[in-house]
Amino acid sequence: MANDKLQIKKLYVLSSENRKFSFSLPLKQTIRIGKRDYEVKLKADEKYGTYILWKNRKYPVEIVSSRQNRYEILFNDISYTFTVETPFSLQRMKVLNSKRGKVEKEYIKAPMPGKIIDVLVREGSNVLQGEPVVILSAMKMQNEILSSVNGVIVKVSARANTNVMKDDLLIEIKVG
Amino acid sequence: MKIKRILIANRGEIAVRIMKTARMMNIETVAVKTAVEPNAMYLSSADVIYDNTEDVSEIPVFLDIEKLIAIALKTKANAVHPGYGFLAENAYFAQKCIDNKIIFIGPSPDAIYKMGNKTIARKIALAGGIPMAMGSEGNIANEEEAVIIAEKIGYPVIIKAASGGGGRGMRIVRKSEEMEKMFIIASKEAEKAFNDPSVFVEKYIENPKHIEFQILGDTKGNIIHLGERECSIQRKHQKLLEEAPSSALDEKLREKMGKMAVQIAKAVDYHSAGTVEFLLDSDKNFYFMEMNTRIQVEHPVTEIITGIDLIEQQIRIANDKELKFRQEDIKLKGWAIECRINAEDVQAGFAPDPGKIESLNMPSDPCVRVDTGVQAGSSIVASYDSMIAKLIVKGKDRKEAIKNCKMALDKVWIKGTKTTLPFFRMLVRHQKFQDGSFTTAFIEKDLEKYYFNSEYEEMLAAWLATKLFVKENLNDDSINIDFKHGKDMSPWLLNKRINQF
Repeated sequence: MANDKLQIKKLYVLSSENRKFSFSLPLKQTIRIGKRDYEVKLKADEKYGTYILWKNRKYPVEIVSSRQNRYEILFNDISYTFTVETPFSLQRMKVLNSKRGKVEKEYIKAPMPGKIIDVLVREGSNVLQGEPVVILSAMKMQNEILSSVNGVIVKVSARANTNVMKDDLLIEIKVG
Repeated sequence: MKIKRILIANRGEIAVRIMKTARMMNIETVAVKTAVEPNAMYLSSADVIYDNTEDVSEIPVFLDIEKLIAIALKTKANAVHPGYGFLAENAYFAQKCIDNKIIFIGPSPDAIYKMGNKTIARKIALAGGIPMAMGSEGNIANEEEAVIIAEKIGYPVIIKAASGGGGRGMRIVRKSEEMEKMFIIASKEAEKAFNDPSVFVEKYIENPKHIEFQILGDTKGNIIHLGERECSIQRKHQKLLEEAPSSALDEKLREKMGKMAVQIAKAVDYHSAGTVEFLLDSDKNFYFMEMNTRIQVEHPVTEIITGIDLIEQQIRIANDKELKFRQEDIKLKGWAIECRINAEDVQAGFAPDPGKIESLNMPSDPCVRVDTGVQAGSSIVASYDSMIAKLIVKGKDRKEAIKNCKMALDKVWIKGTKTTLPFFRMLVRHQKFQDGSFTTAFIEKDLEKYYFNSEYEEMLAAWLATKLFVKENLNDDSINIDFKHGKDMSPWLLNKRINQF
């Protein structure tokens, strides 16, 4: 076995909404649409910060986070979450996904920092998808936090009149 | 007594807005510096800054009546402008100002009290023969009573807080089984928000348009209206976009509704600027909802189509001056649209996204007006509302205003927090918005996607992610990875570890 070295010729980008893009390596400064190649440039200046220049228009861009192969990009005020995969990692992911079972528990987290006004469910009670479980007050707005699934409440971590941070666990639901 | 110096009992864009007109009228202003926003933009527009940064009380100073009165007296301000929100519709605050010989720039405490209490306001409207959605005659004691009334007027009904506003303490009930839960939620919410748990029930009008009339009245008994605004684009009763005039009204209906609005204002001897809100159903029946006894966030669209500075009028009226114009002098010209650009994450259900504004670039164009209280370096803090700026765009008609708005939205650059910009970019392209057939249910019912991105934007973002990946993980654009030593390790991780040695 003389040669174990493999060359990566292509990278795949998977969006959190299951869309797939691919780019050949070495990465070009152009993107092909139909039969034409369009130039794409990443630039930065004092007034606008970082932006992408594409078809004579500037689009603001920001890298919100990058962890290993996972990137959150803010492009023209909309955020996209991608994972960049090599042909090998993509193959491995497919295998792993086919082995993985169904999600059994759903965790309802605080979508924003704020104060819990009211907890509308108890441990052991049934909830339906779309039913409000917690009322969270943030920035002068009362927000109903809805259950994303049908199921049974197994744990209530939220307490009325307490402050929570973004992504704090509020409710644990057993799906089904 | 004439107004010489105004204490602005508010912050943010409305403080800046009031100071701008005050300066034009050669009136001095006092702003309050708080510990939460010691570098806020509104401070730079004031003649006098009262430093309240030592005050660490949990209640914002803008809600502290005694403190504000003391500040006004200390800084020799002989008038107070409350702006909107905070104490703007607090009758006790208005009375306290008067008691201390400070001019309250707004209506009388009596008018604020009567219109602020929805149950009294309904009685006044009923007595004046103003069309209203049927409902309970007064407050209701419990859910059983609510069920009885609801069965009489027919479901769906809406439970509303007697002292409410801004959508809090409101719950729609579609069947009697839901009443108990909703009654408790609404009553609790009302108590928390307004310190008054009392609620009433009225018929819920499905898919109406929100139409409101701007009122101006002086202390000599002259009351006129400045036409309508349409604020049907709202989410959870929070307005997002307002326009003036409304495409739903013709001259005849405008006259009829305007007359009713003036009549309501007359019933409480109203003076200063105020707003009478109506719901308009698909058969063009209208129903009185409430009267707001203050300057509204969306007042600029009316200023643009009438050419009248509403803050100037408020100050003149507070000085006991007579209105310079009569109803027949008011001509509506052109079309204006206001987008409330808030620090909210549209992709996460409009969740507030407080943070520091890294950069802020607004279009400068004759058809664009920007009212803002923030600049690059300012922070949107969690203790106040999430507004960054109001983008106000005009055109000779609705079509042109929408076109200009679309153009202006692409020129707004805000970095540092997520904003409602993608929502407006979607909205101005939406068929139902363009043809004017949208109702207050638009966001809830007609939208599948809350934001706009053009065809290639996601792909360009993906390209950027790839570029970063290549830069961070693969030193070269063409890379060789030895898989012998790391079968279970992802190539980038392996690469990183190797680089660390």
